Amino acid sequence: MRSTPRGDGAGDAPVSHDAPGIGGVPVVGRASVFQDVPVIDDAPAPERSTTAPEARLPSALPAADAPDAGEHPAEPPVDDGVVLSIEGLRKQFGSTVAVDDIHLDVPTGSFYGIVGPNGAGKTTTLSMVTGLLRPDGGRITVHGVDMWADPVRAKRSIGVLPDRLRLFDRLTGAQLLYYSGILRGLDAATVRQRSSDLIAAFGLEDAVNRLVADYSAGMTKKIALAAAMIHSPRLLVLDEPFESVDPVSAANLIDILQRYVASGGTVVLSSHGMDFVQRVCDHVAIIVTGRVLAAGTMDEVRGGGTLEDRFVQLAGGRKAAEGMEWLHTFSD
Amino acid sequence: MVAHFLGLKLRILGNTFRRSPWQLVALIIGLLYGLGVCVVAVLGLIALRLADVETARNVVVIGGSLAVLGFLVVPLVVGVEDTLDPRRFSLFGMRNDTLALSLAVAAFVGVPALVIASVSLSTVATWSRGVGPAVLAVLGAVLVTLTCVLGARVTTSVAALVLATRRARDTTGIVALVALVLISPAASLLANADWGRDTLAIFSAVATTLSWTPLGAAWSVPADAAAGDYGSALLKLLIAVAVVAVLALGWRALVARMLVTPEREARVKVYGGLGLFDRFAATPTGAIAARSLTYWLRDPRYRATLVMIPILPVLLFVPLSIAGVPVEALWLMPLPFMCLFLGWSIHNDVAYDSTAVWLHVASGTRGTADRIGRIVPVALVGIPLVLVGAMLSATFHGDDDVLPSLIGVSSAILFAGIGISSVMSARFPYPAVQPGDSPFKQPQSSGAAAALLQSVSFLVSLLIASPAIVFAALELIEGGDWGLWSLASGVGISVLSVVIGVAWGGRVFERRGPELLAFATRN
Repeated sequence: MRSTPRGDGAGDAPVSHDAPGIGGVPVVGRASVFQDVPVIDDAPAPERSTTAPEARLPSALPAADAPDAGEHPAEPPVDDGVVLSIEGLRKQFGSTVAVDDIHLDVPTGSFYGIVGPNGAGKTTTLSMVTGLLRPDGGRITVHGVDMWADPVRAKRSIGVLPDRLRLFDRLTGAQLLYYSGILRGLDAATVRQRSSDLIAAFGLEDAVNRLVADYSAGMTKKIALAAAMIHSPRLLVLDEPFESVDPVSAANLIDILQRYVASGGTVVLSSHGMDFVQRVCDHVAIIVTGRVLAAGTMDEVRGGGTLEDRFVQLAGGRKAAEGMEWLHTFSD
Repeated sequence: MVAHFLGLKLRILGNTFRRSPWQLVALIIGLLYGLGVCVVAVLGLIALRLADVETARNVVVIGGSLAVLGFLVVPLVVGVEDTLDPRRFSLFGMRNDTLALSLAVAAFVGVPALVIASVSLSTVATWSRGVGPAVLAVLGAVLVTLTCVLGARVTTSVAALVLATRRARDTTGIVALVALVLISPAASLLANADWGRDTLAIFSAVATTLSWTPLGAAWSVPADAAAGDYGSALLKLLIAVAVVAVLALGWRALVARMLVTPEREARVKVYGGLGLFDRFAATPTGAIAARSLTYWLRDPRYRATLVMIPILPVLLFVPLSIAGVPVEALWLMPLPFMCLFLGWSIHNDVAYDSTAVWLHVASGTRGTADRIGRIVPVALVGIPLVLVGAMLSATFHGDDDVLPSLIGVSSAILFAGIGISSVMSARFPYPAVQPGDSPFKQPQSSGAAAALLQSVSFLVSLLIASPAIVFAALELIEGGDWGLWSLASGVGISVLSVVIGVAWGGRVFERRGPELLAFATRN
């Protein structure tokens, strides 16, 4: 179903197949920020190196460039180039099958888009991947750790932006960031440092001292996205991250995410925007009625045409616009 | 112009009948109910013609003052949907005075205004004890109706103007607090009265006081005349006229202000720094404690709880003292009662987070950290409350020997409640008021399960605390060392309850994280 080679002989080192390197990423706007935001935290052991100076060293960042010398020998990361692996995932609500036997492998360092029509099961899938919704069956492995067998360890590697869930919105933006960072086990100094970096990167300076309840929808998305990244997770799972975010902010955020991917991080996002996914993502999966209809690199999935063409074709084609002739003669 | 507005108001009233059949039935039942109250009031006032002047005055002034208070306060607390909000007419470019006058006149068309007009006019019958009182009763009725209708306009508009933003709606809790605080001195006054003998004297005193306030002045004008005291009748008439004048001017100013104030003016408060998060350890437990405490201070749902805690003992005190329970014994009641309520108040805490609890689930937060963090605000309020409250209660009770058992019982009840709440909120959440909704609003689907869970949490915490309670009772009956036993068992129960509650609740929270989130998503 998918093309990313497994067991490519890289041993313990997580391999980034398509990381183009920092130089290959267009530098736009606030691009310099990303060097200050440590993204990949390489050790899954409890005592993680979270102090700011150390983590900000470039060598601590990309898994692809640095050998895993710092890993605890007791817990070798199981990583064969796939940071997220979904096998036979199923979820049923009453008599409705929301997710029907989904298999998906997300290669390390990929920018993975999940597209599908409304109600296709994207949010359900991502909720199960992030440990928010208990699956009826199947297995989810994050960086070699089974999400539902050892959730505490698996959750450490993931940053989550859920769709349509509330935030603790009686906190100010700054408080919410701090809260998220501390809950993720960072120390206060690191959280402050990263908060100020994220606030600058996301353009939230004017908003951080106001209650999140008073934010606009786009601002709420941005603060939630910042909170999802603060613990420099290996994998970011974003459900509709750019819904109602203005184009300028979206461009900035995409730039940040692309730099994150370039340095070895992995982004999985769901979206309705085909053009956007085609432009930004290097891998894509098309999910319709709880099943994966196509998955792989962008070029493989879309073939010669656009992603939208392929999507419409897979999702059941266009409905013939018959029986709507009354719309073509105007009533006045 | 005035005629236009009257027509508009009549049409709006008429359109209330053009609804679905069941809404219509509810409306008609409501109208009949209002009509019934009105008829009873009118008949009662006519019957008061037979009573002596003093009694009639007391009943009319106290009842009337409550009615005026209702007109003023109900729109503030309930937040009535205002069909004739001045802002709706801001685009028509009318002169302010015309608009203010038209809207005020239109406000007299409506069921509440009709009820208060007919009730106040029937006081003419009550005071038909001579030409002077009768004429003054007509004047008084006019003033009462003007006060009520204009007052309701003013408070409704103030509510609409001030409560338009989210922040302001949050402070409605504070408005309720102020109202309740204003009531509680009166209640404690009532509580301290010797009800057997003094009832009439108290009624007289209350009526006399009220008659000099804007609430009761207009009502008591004819009463004073009937009693022959034309001097104070004239003074109160002046007060009542002044009140109406002030309300009218206030209404004019409000309309002018509202016409140039757009709806939903967002004046957002800016907070500096991290607030309470700086005062707690930078650990998950500390952060959750800081978050909980911030919510207790900022979220109206929690503030409503904080407000209720000092009010409850008063509500308990009054009926029991009327029932003849000796006051010394009564002073032992409020503290344990407040502790019971305080410990119980967090038994549905996770449901208060609604779906925001995903953050705890996605972060893999330890259950114990979550549990302890949520306990901290209650313990921060509860522990000083127990210590200070026990000393105050013992002083009022008049016997310091009850101090150990008071502390024992109160802390046992408080921490047993906290312990049981720690388990219940993780294991059995039930639908709660959603964040941002009014704390007085009921969630759509609470029902029997909620009632059951609430009473179970209550009873189990009492059951756990029962050893301390039994020893305290023995101390009261026999004296001796039982008080120390109560203290010792109370402290022991407290420690055990919290430790077991946190450990058990924490395990449940970790295991059931996704289920808690699924529950929150459903509701």
